[in-house]
Amino acid sequence: MVEIVIGTALAAIGAGVAIGFAGLGSGLGQGIAAAGSVGAVAEDNDMFARGIIFTALPETQAIYGFLIAILLLVFSGLLGGGKGLAIESGLVAIGIGASIGFAGLGSGMGQGIAAASSVGAVVEDNDMFARGIIFTALPETQAIYGFLIAILLMVFGGILS
Amino acid sequence: MADELTTLLTSSGISNEAFLAIVVIVLLIIGAVVVIIVSRPVLDIYPYLLPNAKVRARKGRLFDEKHFSEIIEADDYKEIINYLRGFPDYAKHLDNHSIEKSLDIQLGETYNILSKIAPGDVKKVFVILSKKSDISNIKSLIASKEANLSKDETTKLLIPVGSLYPTCEQLIESNTIEDVIAGLDGTEYGSVLEDALSEYNESGMILPFESALDKYFLENLLSASGVPSDDNTRILHSYIGSQVDVANLKIIIRSKVDGLKYDSINTHMISNGYQIKEWKLKDLMESESVTSIVNGLDGTDYSPVLNEALGTYNETASISVFEKALDEYIVNYANSLSLKNPLGIGPIIGYINKKEKEIKNLKIIIRAKRENNLGISDIQEMLV
Repeated sequence: MVEIVIGTALAAIGAGVAIGFAGLGSGLGQGIAAAGSVGAVAEDNDMFARGIIFTALPETQAIYGFLIAILLLVFSGLLGGGKGLAIESGLVAIGIGASIGFAGLGSGMGQGIAAASSVGAVVEDNDMFARGIIFTALPETQAIYGFLIAILLMVFGGILS
Repeated sequence: MADELTTLLTSSGISNEAFLAIVVIVLLIIGAVVVIIVSRPVLDIYPYLLPNAKVRARKGRLFDEKHFSEIIEADDYKEIINYLRGFPDYAKHLDNHSIEKSLDIQLGETYNILSKIAPGDVKKVFVILSKKSDISNIKSLIASKEANLSKDETTKLLIPVGSLYPTCEQLIESNTIEDVIAGLDGTEYGSVLEDALSEYNESGMILPFESALDKYFLENLLSASGVPSDDNTRILHSYIGSQVDVANLKIIIRSKVDGLKYDSINTHMISNGYQIKEWKLKDLMESESVTSIVNGLDGTDYSPVLNEALGTYNETASISVFEKALDEYIVNYANSLSLKNPLGIGPIIGYINKKEKEIKNLKIIIRAKRENNLGISDIQEMLV
């Protein structure tokens, strides 16, 4: 068995939190958006493409979480066989995971709810598409904040250096 | 710092593995709390996502003001029929049925669809609502027997929607009202009609049957929405309760104009509506005149609506102004409710309200064009 230092083990937890919670938010959000889209497509076949667009929007949170998790795994030495992390860097890694994980959770759910409502608005009135996209894009900002802080923590927390 | 942390852990007697385990447990607890907190609103919203999308798609197909302007400007009712042939929801029925019957079928189908897609906690209300077609068919059967209509004429009156339609179709063969009631024995309406039979025998009018059926329907609707447990059921209860209030008020006003006394009115009342409770109903039934009924409603939402109509009533002596005012109140109230919970029951109430309004207005326009050939502004005034 590969010997893992405690800092690296903490970074692994951070990676799990990053993709776990971001994926949870993204999954719930997409599920909510998909449920609304299926209802719309059942009544109006032309809604398929627009339903897919709205359902795809909450995917981004999982991508952010996935990216941060991969970076943590690479720079903690778990992937690529580099040097292991010190214990305090491991704790920073948990902060990084929590940052994108929880931000992605809230953002993904919010985006899913907005997407489901927008699908309903578009199926009722075609002209609502552009405005629906704008409203649905707004909850993305929280995930971007979380992603940005996660990157800053990596740079200044000694993981990327 | 790493050394200090390691020293701290060692001096506390915590091994690296134990420290990791503690971190994992703390994260698991935080994660579980977060999941529980975030899943609650999702669980409330989730059952309504699919129905709301379906309902909003159908709402998008309802007629707007532009459509109604075009319909009102039609030269005659045949032009309206041709216009409606351009809309699949109506076109599919117009080839086989009269325009009024097509509209009734469309409304009946709407209730049926809602009863199928409505989420579990409000489903019962929509299932009862879908029985409107059954009640309408029973009323048509009784009226046709009273008027000695032929089988063909009776068939034309029945709406081919609802679980009771096959039974009603068989009862076309009945000779008398008593036969119709006997044929409905075993259904939920059998005992309701039997109870009204003695009043019919005394008065010779079919009104007691219609009144008993309406009362039974609204009481069931009210009892199905009777225990509000969350925002959705609370909104639905206020919608149904207001409809009961309006039905009671219409009966009381009409009865006062006809000079009926408390005992005659009381049998038709449905207690415990939304704003008018039992004691208030009693006061209203004991009122001496229409004006005192309107005054007795002070403090309720119906007071300003009926007070506004009172002036016109004093000029025209027609109670239809009150009925129109109350119908418009329900439309506006349902509209406000539809905006209260956009991720819950709101869109469903909004749709059903607009669909009923659409059918009602189409019937008004068609009747005005066919029977009176009224002008555009006269028809617009009649619309809800």
